[in-house]
Amino acid sequence: MSLRKTLKTVSLGLLAGIALTASALAADGKLIVIITPSHDNPFFKQEAVGAQAKAKELGYEAAQEAVGAQAKAKELGYEAAIYSHDDDANKQNDLIDSAIAQKAAAIILDNAGADATVAAVQKAKDAGVPSFLIDREINATGIAVTQIVSNNYQGATLVAESFVEAMGEKGNFVELVGKESDTNAGVRSKGYHDVIDQYPDMKMVAQQSANWSQTEAFSKMESILQANPDVKGVISGNDTMAMGAMAALEAAGRKDVLVAGFDGSNDVRDAIIAGKIHATGLQPAFRQAQYAVELADKFLKEGKTGQPEKISMDCVLITKDNAAKLDNFALKD
Amino acid sequence: MTNTVATPAAEAPKGQSTPLLLLLKLRTFIALIAVVVFFSLMAPNFVTVANVVIVSKHVAINAFLAIGMTFVILTGGIDLSVGAIVGLVGMVAGALVLYGVPLEMLGVVIYPNVWEVIGIALLVGTFVGFVNGLLITRMQVAPFIATLGMLYVARGTALLMSGGSTFPNLIGKPEFGNQGFPVLGAGTILGIPLSIWLLLVVAGIAAYVATKTPFGRQIYAVGGNERAATLSGVNVNRVKLTVYMVSGFCAAIAGLVVASQLVASHPASGETFEMNAIAAAVLGGTSLSGGRGTIGGTIVGAFVIGVLSDGLVMMGVSEFWQMVIKGVVIVGAVILDQMQRRIARNARLG
Repeated sequence: MSLRKTLKTVSLGLLAGIALTASALAADGKLIVIITPSHDNPFFKQEAVGAQAKAKELGYEAAQEAVGAQAKAKELGYEAAIYSHDDDANKQNDLIDSAIAQKAAAIILDNAGADATVAAVQKAKDAGVPSFLIDREINATGIAVTQIVSNNYQGATLVAESFVEAMGEKGNFVELVGKESDTNAGVRSKGYHDVIDQYPDMKMVAQQSANWSQTEAFSKMESILQANPDVKGVISGNDTMAMGAMAALEAAGRKDVLVAGFDGSNDVRDAIIAGKIHATGLQPAFRQAQYAVELADKFLKEGKTGQPEKISMDCVLITKDNAAKLDNFALKD
Repeated sequence: MTNTVATPAAEAPKGQSTPLLLLLKLRTFIALIAVVVFFSLMAPNFVTVANVVIVSKHVAINAFLAIGMTFVILTGGIDLSVGAIVGLVGMVAGALVLYGVPLEMLGVVIYPNVWEVIGIALLVGTFVGFVNGLLITRMQVAPFIATLGMLYVARGTALLMSGGSTFPNLIGKPEFGNQGFPVLGAGTILGIPLSIWLLLVVAGIAAYVATKTPFGRQIYAVGGNERAATLSGVNVNRVKLTVYMVSGFCAAIAGLVVASQLVASHPASGETFEMNAIAAAVLGGTSLSGGRGTIGGTIVGAFVIGVLSDGLVMMGVSEFWQMVIKGVVIVGAVILDQMQRRIARNARLG
């Protein structure tokens, strides 16, 4: 009984502590909440780190761990909190609710769905919390302060052009599509096809969604190779699926098949340097997230960003020529 | 045992088999033949040696999980944590190959060789199962809740190990003496991948334990009637603890094979694998209420699911339809299962 009582007291104490911390932050109104998809995709992780690094420079202290955050929050006036919504619009809605409850100064958001996000961002705006969108746009304007997106379509056409050229403008290829509920999966696929379909000798023999997943891309690529042994190229909606396809091709001893990805992760950079992957499209994830924090800071101080709501940042083609300069989703000069 | 591998339901009364009952008893096997025939007509190169090997390789991963899951379900439990264990074990193996074991006090890093990596990884999986078992037997947490909690803990731990990113290029280095990890996923004996041989071994041992050993009979007894098992002297808690450890161990094998095939470990590996494992067991005639089911049936069930997903990919059917079809097949199998039990019961009574 006494143990239970102690536990109860301790947990009540903890709850009170959390509530106090939250209200302390709220009083300052200097919390920036960063919400991105799951951090297990290296691209999204970089996005979170990018926003954090910039927040630090500007005087918002960011910390990933709860303990570190608490300690640092006392030192500095600002704090950045990072959450992931796992591509679940419902969870994103909850996270935005809690950001509002914490009276966050601003929300940096890589959203969980172009339509499903609109209401949540509107709710934040009504509560006086401005949102700054990165990477993916939403199907509404005038709700978020800015929407900084990398130009996925432009990036996809770059990758497709390089892919077609390396294939010699002919041959059978496979397309691995991302999660079909994600806008970017569709935009990239359209970019690929708008280029590739102009070449009558380029023939798509299979198109499958591997849901951005390496494991799934691996087993699906193995099956596709069985059905279509004459495949000469694989164009993939992101880098993790490209890595899965690469592993399947290696397991089958196929060195003659060209692989292209999208994102510009370090894993694919290394594979490009090793000659196992042909090309990828680099999204300026790091810069994008930093820029969003800069604009948020400006908006909080001056009441406007001085930029249009929709800002598009171009993607860069990464091949053997410039792969060595790529690190953590940024190109060194 | 008059039942062969192909007959999932072991307890049907003997000597009263009507043709319909026999057909229902063999339903999983018939379903397997049906899907194989279907895809051999519809998908190019489906029935080739190379493709049968690839399909079996894909099935093996689910089958490892499903074998452990069958033991757990036979006792009337469930293990939702196996997919997360796949991810966690892969990350443990990846970290050991890439970074070894740093001993900070001595300032040295010990790089375990491949056998030690595999051994440690299997221990981690078994330990997670052990914790599941303790929660269920000592703390009286319902299996669904205990293993659901473990799902999150194990997945979160896997993500924490790398901060969410991949451990790439798990090939080891000659100077560390830890090369050879990819062999588990890519190696072959007589042209057959190691993972398939491994499945034969694991399935053989599992079937033997389930049917020929006292422990096997205790598992069925616990699932059939826990109170009766207790009264007849079965150490129910020990049986339950053991099956969760077996399930964790089997999941660890799957985790090692996945990481080795990709030559990389990703913390999200194995997401929703637990559902495929449960589906394979149920499709193979395992009753979720415990006490009924066979390892052979589960393997056939895993093959039905594997053939379906690979065949649909080869046919070029969209992901969305694949999910719909899989769902229909699983529910259809359970409906047939219920039908068989009803007919068998009537035959017994009448």
